[in-house]
Amino acid sequence: MTELLIKNGFVFDPINKINGEKMDIAIKDGKIVHKVSGKAQVVDASGLTVMPGGVDIHTHIAGGEVNTGRIIRPDDHVKDVERKTAMTRCGTGYSIPSTFTTGYRYSRMGYTTVMNPSMAPLEAKHTHEELNDIPLLDKATYPLIGDWWFVLENLAKGDIVECAKHVAWMLDITKGYAIKIVNPGGLESWGFGHNVHSIDDQVPNFCITPREIVTGLARVNALLNLPHSIHLHTNNLGLPGNYTTTLDTMKALESVPYNGKPVCHITHLQFASFAGDGWAHFQSASEEISSYINAHNHLTFDMGQVIFTDTTTMTADGPFEFSLYELGGHNKWVNSDVETETSGGIIPFHYKKNSPVNALQWSIGLELALLIKDPWKMFMTTDHPNGGPFFAYPRVLAWLYSKKAREATLKHCNKKAQKKSLLPTIDREMTLYEIAIMTRAGQAKALGLPNKGQLGVGADADVAIFNINPETMDIAQQFKAARKAFKHAAYTIKDGKVVVKDGEVVNNTTPGRTMWLDVQTKDPCVIDEEMRRKFKQYWTIEYDNYPVFDHYLRVPEKLTVKASV
Amino acid sequence: MIILISKRKFDVPVQAACISPDVFKGKTTAEIANMPVTEGNRNLKLGDLFEIQEDNLETPYITINGDAGKVKRIGSNMKTGEIVVNGDCGMHTGEKMAGGKITVNGNIGGWSGNDMKGGLIEVHGDAGDYLASPYRGTATGMKGGVIIVDGKVGSDSGCYLHGGVLKIKGGAGRFLGYHMSDGVILVDKEVDVRPGACMTGGKIVITGTVEEVMPSFTIDSVKPKVKIDDTTNVAGPFYVFLGDLAEHGTGKIFVNKACNPQMKFYEKYL
Amino acid sequence: MTSEVKSVVCPICGCLCDDLEVTVENNEIVKMKNGCSVCEAKMVHGYKSEERILKPMIRKDGELVPVSMDEAVKKAAKILTDAKYPLLFGWSSSTSEAQRIGVELAEELGSALDNCCSVCHGPSVMATQEIGIPASTLGQIRHRADLIVYWACNPWTSHPRHLERYTSFTDGRFEKSEWKSYMQKMKGDASMKKVQAASKRIIGSTIPAMRPDACALNAPPQTMQKEGRKLIVVDVRKTMTADAADYFIQVQPNKDYEIIEALRCLVGDQELDVDTVGGVKVEYLKDVADAMVNCEFGVIFFGLGLTQSAGRFRNIENAIALTRDLNRKTKFVISPMRGHFNVTGANVVFAWSTGYPYALDFSQGYPQYNPGEFTTIDLLRRGDNDATLVISADPGAHFPKAAVQNMMKHPLITINPDMNAISRLGDVVFPTQWCGIECEGTAYRMDHVPIMLRKVVEPPKGILNDEELLKRILAEVRVIKGKNPDTETKAEVKERNKLAPRIEIKQRKKAKKVEVA
Ligand code: SF4
Ligand SMILES: [Zn+2]
Repeated sequence: MTELLIKNGFVFDPINKINGEKMDIAIKDGKIVHKVSGKAQVVDASGLTVMPGGVDIHTHIAGGEVNTGRIIRPDDHVKDVERKTAMTRCGTGYSIPSTFTTGYRYSRMGYTTVMNPSMAPLEAKHTHEELNDIPLLDKATYPLIGDWWFVLENLAKGDIVECAKHVAWMLDITKGYAIKIVNPGGLESWGFGHNVHSIDDQVPNFCITPREIVTGLARVNALLNLPHSIHLHTNNLGLPGNYTTTLDTMKALESVPYNGKPVCHITHLQFASFAGDGWAHFQSASEEISSYINAHNHLTFDMGQVIFTDTTTMTADGPFEFSLYELGGHNKWVNSDVETETSGGIIPFHYKKNSPVNALQWSIGLELALLIKDPWKMFMTTDHPNGGPFFAYPRVLAWLYSKKAREATLKHCNKKAQKKSLLPTIDREMTLYEIAIMTRAGQAKALGLPNKGQLGVGADADVAIFNINPETMDIAQQFKAARKAFKHAAYTIKDGKVVVKDGEVVNNTTPGRTMWLDVQTKDPCVIDEEMRRKFKQYWTIEYDNYPVFDHYLRVPEKLTVKASV
Repeated sequence: MIILISKRKFDVPVQAACISPDVFKGKTTAEIANMPVTEGNRNLKLGDLFEIQEDNLETPYITINGDAGKVKRIGSNMKTGEIVVNGDCGMHTGEKMAGGKITVNGNIGGWSGNDMKGGLIEVHGDAGDYLASPYRGTATGMKGGVIIVDGKVGSDSGCYLHGGVLKIKGGAGRFLGYHMSDGVILVDKEVDVRPGACMTGGKIVITGTVEEVMPSFTIDSVKPKVKIDDTTNVAGPFYVFLGDLAEHGTGKIFVNKACNPQMKFYEKYL
Repeated sequence: MTSEVKSVVCPICGCLCDDLEVTVENNEIVKMKNGCSVCEAKMVHGYKSEERILKPMIRKDGELVPVSMDEAVKKAAKILTDAKYPLLFGWSSSTSEAQRIGVELAEELGSALDNCCSVCHGPSVMATQEIGIPASTLGQIRHRADLIVYWACNPWTSHPRHLERYTSFTDGRFEKSEWKSYMQKMKGDASMKKVQAASKRIIGSTIPAMRPDACALNAPPQTMQKEGRKLIVVDVRKTMTADAADYFIQVQPNKDYEIIEALRCLVGDQELDVDTVGGVKVEYLKDVADAMVNCEFGVIFFGLGLTQSAGRFRNIENAIALTRDLNRKTKFVISPMRGHFNVTGANVVFAWSTGYPYALDFSQGYPQYNPGEFTTIDLLRRGDNDATLVISADPGAHFPKAAVQNMMKHPLITINPDMNAISRLGDVVFPTQWCGIECEGTAYRMDHVPIMLRKVVEPPKGILNDEELLKRILAEVRVIKGKNPDTETKAEVKERNKLAPRIEIKQRKKAKKVEVA
């Protein structure tokens, strides 16, 4: 029995509507409780900001693709190393940190839960092996199933129930958490080097359109009662003028019954909000996109903010990565198609302030975040490492809560981009309360994780404490000091244990759990001879060897879901 | 001037990035002796491995005597001053060097002059592989400065060369000037196969012999002489090849006509 | 007592076939179905080797004498901690679980860490670091490839089921097997037995031997005009795989680079000044380039003939560049033919825990990487290390003499199931279990697909598996190091950190042209 009392902090806990009140948080056995005994260890948080542990809804930290990224980038690692200490394993950064380093660096910023958003089901064991080696964090991972042949075939037939059963089976067998869809239809087309260009293009050989895939899987998601919505990377991502495709997709999703719970999470929205016909006329579409979002409630989003640095882009969107490569200026290109399921691509990329396109991308991400009025709809991410590495989050936060910080960066940006940027017209500066929503509460809510992102009684005792005194520090003015505070948490508490103090890891005994969904359908997907035969046809490994066996999750946390089929 | 004398023969690699005039400047011998180095995985002080003497000649100036063949990263990041190594010298010597001079009276290890931006390295012996080539996975090599080698150099030297001059008085290994985009490489003796593969710019001048040029180069002309730097011209005549076509490159390889009669057949394309 | 185990994974080559059916009697494998002859030789016979090591041994007065596990572990830990710069090498036939502990051990020791890939496909890895790689899983090739190129490799012998499971002789969704047409032109009775065995696996019955028409050499044969999957083989000699090919191109040794370069020019519609390249007429290369450009989905598999011949990783780099160029015209992928069943896994595991796939060094307290500097052969040849641990590998046979001589100057610890050449030289010799036969664990197929190896029989009593054994050595190392704590002060650590590489990402000063425009 361990008890902990966080005394006198300014608490920001949006789910429980607590906005900077000075109060104590009591912890017992890894959970938040009403009160603790006098013997509890005390963390003096007076003058400090207390928030639930950070939650990241979308960050590529583990799995085949990420690891290939690591392998091809020794030049990235050599400039940023993490020494071994008595407490920690050594490792390397920069944009694709090794597993242990990933855990430590998230934890140092007060994060306690992160979601790995793209996992090829065939390589699921690999992802889980890596997640096991990411310490101090709770994790989950989303299998990529938008272009899975079983899904395409069942949806083309219109058999949504059968499709749902297969998806449930897939979540179970890959120990996954949500349905991830990337460039629906495009990845299958990429199998022969093609792509789809609108949501009504036909996918070659499969008699289906991206619209049918997305809305079909959104219905499947509802039938299965999954905690998170479908998680979508839209078609035409990263191409000029793609905002119309994004709008079409959002409108198409209006057809999916909405009962107060979002039907889809559109990820790294920045990359999907480009106007203009071609790179030379590249424009921001943040106004069009945000005004639609402000008028509708059926979706959630994350930013995919761009950071000016040398990073590595990696996505299951193989055709996109190739088109990016063809723009020139890159020395490495990885493509990695996975049979029957998905594709993938990797390119090292340097976002530069003096590039009109990159600078405007930076602006678009922030415009979207600031123009979307409701922070419960839009979350802070960089789509690590696509927009920039996750440890740049404090910089993103500074741009959100401080106009001064935005101006300081904007004035170094490309002149053309400065002219096109809407940022000078936006005065909004986010409060700590809004920051808490965008970085923990909103993300936890969208993920359907009731015990995360909040500090109410019964919640997981994941807490972040920052060296910010809201009474004395004006974060908008002193943005650098606040940024530093977000970079090095005063304390990070995971499952009731102090794991980081003053920005340094002080505990190495907390591996963190891997959450996965056990979706119980009324009659589960039958694995008969027919299915096995199909299996043998579709994949190159046997049915018996396909699943992620239980022992692959070092600390599993099974979340049981009752489906309505 | 600081004189370092190795106390014994090193049997595992020593990392001593601190041996640099910029780092030693203004420090007493006691302070220098206290600088961190590693021998294998042991964390030691420079004074544990080297005897450190000082004389009152001009500073900053470092002389290394004794066994430095396994000492890596001498003069890394160096900007000013001079280092003289009397004997062999380990890998990564003069890495990221921006100025000053390193003289090696012996052989020099691989990856020396890696990512060099300026200054001069003079080797009175042979050089290992990857002379003046960048770290793995990096596409920008040496940007400036001069390296002069009296002996031969290993393979993959001058990869991704982006500026500066390599003067090699001996022969050169395979893939000399691989993917180079600028700068000049001059070789006086035999060059192994595939010089200039994937080059997109710059010059390789071979006054010695080379078995063949890559099929992806095309003959351009015959020139009587070629300019190496502001002060040096080398007399030919030379066959001039353009390439690498596979990379749509416009690099030039100058091959001494007299020494390479096997290339005569190219003349029919002129 | 007889039992049947299905879906057993073959722990031999990088194909990692996972459809074996094994019959076990009295804790012994007596029969197996579906495996190739290589597999059968090991799974049914090889693993029962008489050379099996059954007890740990330590060399005393020049002789290896059996000792208790405790004593051997203590001795090994002492050797490793006493050394200033030990080297841990091998790993290609270990499970990923064991490799993971290996990284931890290397880190704790501050040693060099390398895997067998440095003597086989290390160059392939280095090439991807220069240029990336367009790749796919093997199933993608099975479903879609209509042009298959084997370059400098001979899967008929080295990866016997590669063709029948993943390429020419397998039915995919969009492309069909070419087995029948191959049978029609099969020649020679010498290889017939192998073909018959394959035939049994592929179509369930044997086919009577036939005399085929002669295979074309160095000229575009009729078969290049046919419908369906085409197979091109490029090699320095005519192999069994070449016999199966629709087009065989024989190249001069060590001229692959030039041939690839020429193909790149031809694919890019450039004219060449020369008539022959590497012993091949340019017009034949034009045929190959045409076939490559005109396919729907092509693939190049390459083997050690490319990674270990003159040019090494540059050969691969250029082959990848060719594949990339082809992607501008059609769909093309490229894949190394990884040899040992889990050498890919070693790369994968090392990379996720350190960022680097092999050729690692931990002497500075953080991972460093540099093939040529920290690769085993180079380290040994220079005599840089002062103790060696070899696990699940038998390098003795393949290493240059100078390397072995230097290795023998210092203590050597070995971990292998049987008394192979390297174990005979060891100072501390550990036995271990056969991965994939006596213990389970993860392995990565040549295309990075993870598959769980199964345990089919019980190991001999008292023998630990790699993972358990390494954990014990690691624990012992920690005990020893705990007694001599690192005495560095905080200030000293800070000083050292100053010299460590650090992030320096600078904005370029001059405005360059927009790179995306
Ligand atoms: S091809 Fe390789 S993996 Fe498959 S059965 Fe033969 S040896 Fe085993
Ligand atoms: Zn993403």
